[in-house]
Amino acid sequence: MVERVFSTLPGVGYQGSAMPAMTVEELKASVLAEIDRRGGEAVRIAKQILDTPEPGFREQKTSRLVAEEFRRLGIPHEEGIAITGLKGMLAGGTDGPTVAVIGELDSLIVQGHPHADPQTSAAHACGHHCQIGMMFGVALGLMAPGVMESLAGRVALFAAPAEEYIEIEYRDDLRREGKIEFLGGKAELLRLGAFDDVDMAMMTHTQSGESMSGVIGTGATNNGMVAKRIMFTGRAAHAGGSPHHGVNALNAANIALSAIHAQRETFRDEDTIRVHPIITQGGVAVSSVPADVRMETFVRGRTTTAIASASRKVDRALRAGAMAVGGSVTVTTLPGYLPIQTSPALTHLYIDNARGLVGEDGVEPMPHRSGSTDMGDLSQIMPVIHPYVAAATGYAHGADYVVKDYDLGVLTAAKAMAMTVVDLLAGGGRRGREVLSKHRAPMTKKEYLSLMRGMFNEETFQE
Amino acid sequence: MQEQPADIQALKAAAQSAIDGRRDWLISATKTVLLNPEPGFQEVNTSRLVSEKLSELGISHESGIALTGIKGYLRGVRGGPTIAVIGEMDSLKVPGHPHADPESGAAHACGHHCQLGMMLGAAVGLRASGVLAALSGSVALMALPAEEFIDVEYRWGLRRDGKLGLMSGKQEFIRLGAFDDVDMAMMVHTSASPGEKKFSVGGSSNGHLVKYVRFIGKASHAGSSPHLGTNALQAAMVALNALNAQRETLKNEDNVRLHGILTSGGTAANSTPADVVYEGRVRGRTPEAIADANMKMDRCLRAGALAIGAKVSIVTIPGYLPMLHDETLMDVFMGNAVRLVGKSNLVVHPSDRTRGGSTDMGDLSHIMPVIHPYTGGATGMGHGVDYLVDDYEQAVINPAKAMAMCVIDLLADGAAKAAEVLSRSSPRMTRQQYLAMQEGRLTQELYEGD
Repeated sequence: MVERVFSTLPGVGYQGSAMPAMTVEELKASVLAEIDRRGGEAVRIAKQILDTPEPGFREQKTSRLVAEEFRRLGIPHEEGIAITGLKGMLAGGTDGPTVAVIGELDSLIVQGHPHADPQTSAAHACGHHCQIGMMFGVALGLMAPGVMESLAGRVALFAAPAEEYIEIEYRDDLRREGKIEFLGGKAELLRLGAFDDVDMAMMTHTQSGESMSGVIGTGATNNGMVAKRIMFTGRAAHAGGSPHHGVNALNAANIALSAIHAQRETFRDEDTIRVHPIITQGGVAVSSVPADVRMETFVRGRTTTAIASASRKVDRALRAGAMAVGGSVTVTTLPGYLPIQTSPALTHLYIDNARGLVGEDGVEPMPHRSGSTDMGDLSQIMPVIHPYVAAATGYAHGADYVVKDYDLGVLTAAKAMAMTVVDLLAGGGRRGREVLSKHRAPMTKKEYLSLMRGMFNEETFQE
Repeated sequence: MQEQPADIQALKAAAQSAIDGRRDWLISATKTVLLNPEPGFQEVNTSRLVSEKLSELGISHESGIALTGIKGYLRGVRGGPTIAVIGEMDSLKVPGHPHADPESGAAHACGHHCQLGMMLGAAVGLRASGVLAALSGSVALMALPAEEFIDVEYRWGLRRDGKLGLMSGKQEFIRLGAFDDVDMAMMVHTSASPGEKKFSVGGSSNGHLVKYVRFIGKASHAGSSPHLGTNALQAAMVALNALNAQRETLKNEDNVRLHGILTSGGTAANSTPADVVYEGRVRGRTPEAIADANMKMDRCLRAGALAIGAKVSIVTIPGYLPMLHDETLMDVFMGNAVRLVGKSNLVVHPSDRTRGGSTDMGDLSHIMPVIHPYTGGATGMGHGVDYLVDDYEQAVINPAKAMAMCVIDLLADGAAKAAEVLSRSSPRMTRQQYLAMQEGRLTQELYEGD
């Protein structure tokens, strides 16, 4: 492996004063004390974001809020990366690896969630608000006097947009307008080079305590996925007076859905395939034969090969729907997320710190998860961890998913990450360099972009 | 009612009394057929029985036309047109019918057994003393196989083996030239519809196309490796689901019917079904409606294969043509029906009243004048387990008399009435045109989905 030459970009932290170097234990103690002292600020930010839920690439208010906090704390940062993303920077006393600590800006859309926006139904039903709180918690801790000066390298503080891959039609329109190329936040940040100066990354996701026995989980793998934007085109006609003149695009969609279900027995259990479409437009007037019916779906799976196979089956089912009614279907397949593989070396460091905070039994290994995250994309090109904290109750993405324990969901999570950053960058960044030297990334950024671009496909099928 | 010449009235009275004289013999023969149900082109025992009965009456006949069909003749003393009096030999298959064959499920749930009784009854009436001596022309007595277009796979095999050309009885009789010497034809079908009263005439029937469809997938262990299989049953399910979605596009006035059965839906539950066979039917009032519905059927079948990555073999077999009743013949029949049962017991349907079902009498009606009236006598639903003939007087004896009387009207008086029928009728096509059209409607395609 080529030894990385670490850049020295501006950032707060080391100011040239000659403070005596602290030990790792002293550094961690300072960080924890600072998070305990100023943690209320991080929790306040999390709760403020909870009350301004905005879906991906629309996080304008949330982005402004994060920018104000960066300014208030004197953290140099860039704004408006991938529309709403932000990147702050803390610099250590000497050169070394750059560790990213990531929080996600976007909300879901879940009608009936207690914190849903009454107009848009946007709601933080996946706990991303806590992630921004954690990211600031880490920043506050590392900004304790003397800490950054003792570290070698930098900490990139990311507020990443659009982790939930939703509103596909809206985002695909952004893509067609040239405002984004990829529909997920981290993929877009990667493309734009925002991770070019980052060596490894971590973020912590909240999780419902009902699905865990401990309070912190690590090592989970995730499904990857492709997304599809689907448009069935028929011919409008009076649905009462002359249905025989129409071509019913809703029937095409219905047949296609039924045909998709008929594929399920061919999905291997170990591939954990998920295909779960929604109809975003099912017709415009009940008295007119639906001529323009839109669907969105993901095709998720554990490996890119399994995803490609299932995607092909979904495509033929969609074509069959159009064929059966004599209509047409346009299927736009969009690259989604890649399966995640977390770094064992990073995970090892993290687990030690987490155990120190929540006890030996409080940390548990997690199984494969059939959801997807764009941390998977990042994991293909650098070491990452993506642990979970059991701070919520209810079903994720459901109307009952609520974070109950902000101490755990923001502060403990921040502490575990901040301590891991200290481990990585203390002592001249020795352990950080070790993690990097052991790591074999599956692909380079260039290979990643080429893989993603290769997944784009648009076809219009008409018999 | 117009008074008829005394000599014709006397001929009809003689025919009626001859039929009444053999009433028990006719009904007994009819019930024997009922208890020996055999589906189309397999009417071996039924055919033998008809042959024996014709022989008992001293009527010379040919057997084995179109495998099981029979054609006998009664000749008037003078030459003239030939009128076919037809009965159908085949049963349906309706397991659970009280008279069903316990092994095959074959059952006379459409009353064809009565038609043979009527045909024999008409022969009995026309053989009455003095009748043939007064007629100019001939009567072809026909026992026809396979009116119900079922067992498509079996019949397709007969065709492949060169034993059949077209796949229904009248179609094959036409192809073999067995109708070449026939000028017009009649038969009477039983009905349980209360609206039919004792006799009904007129109306039409749907035409149809027959689909012989095979979804071809790939077998695999359905438990351990379903991902290696291609499920032909799923392809069929997707196709049938899609077929139902077409229904809103079918015009009510076209009387389209899309229906079918799965004759093979897999062979073992633990093996991914790789060979699924569907026998379908596309019916409609007009050739255009049938073509439109058939196009929709085909695209659904293909879509099923496409969705699953299977193949589908679609054989489209020429089915029946819509029924065209000859108006003059209908008048003749109505006159006699009224004489037998009274005007209040006769229903006349307008010509645009289409029965959803189909008959190969429709095919014959395109090349010669034909009538296909209905008689009461049955109860229950046609083709259902409860379709039973409970009034043999009306289901056999009266229609036998009516047909014998019609023949007398047509062929007496130097066959003046038959000549009028022929001069007024203008068949839609010749036999050659008909055969060319039917062969042209036979198509085969293999669609490879994905």
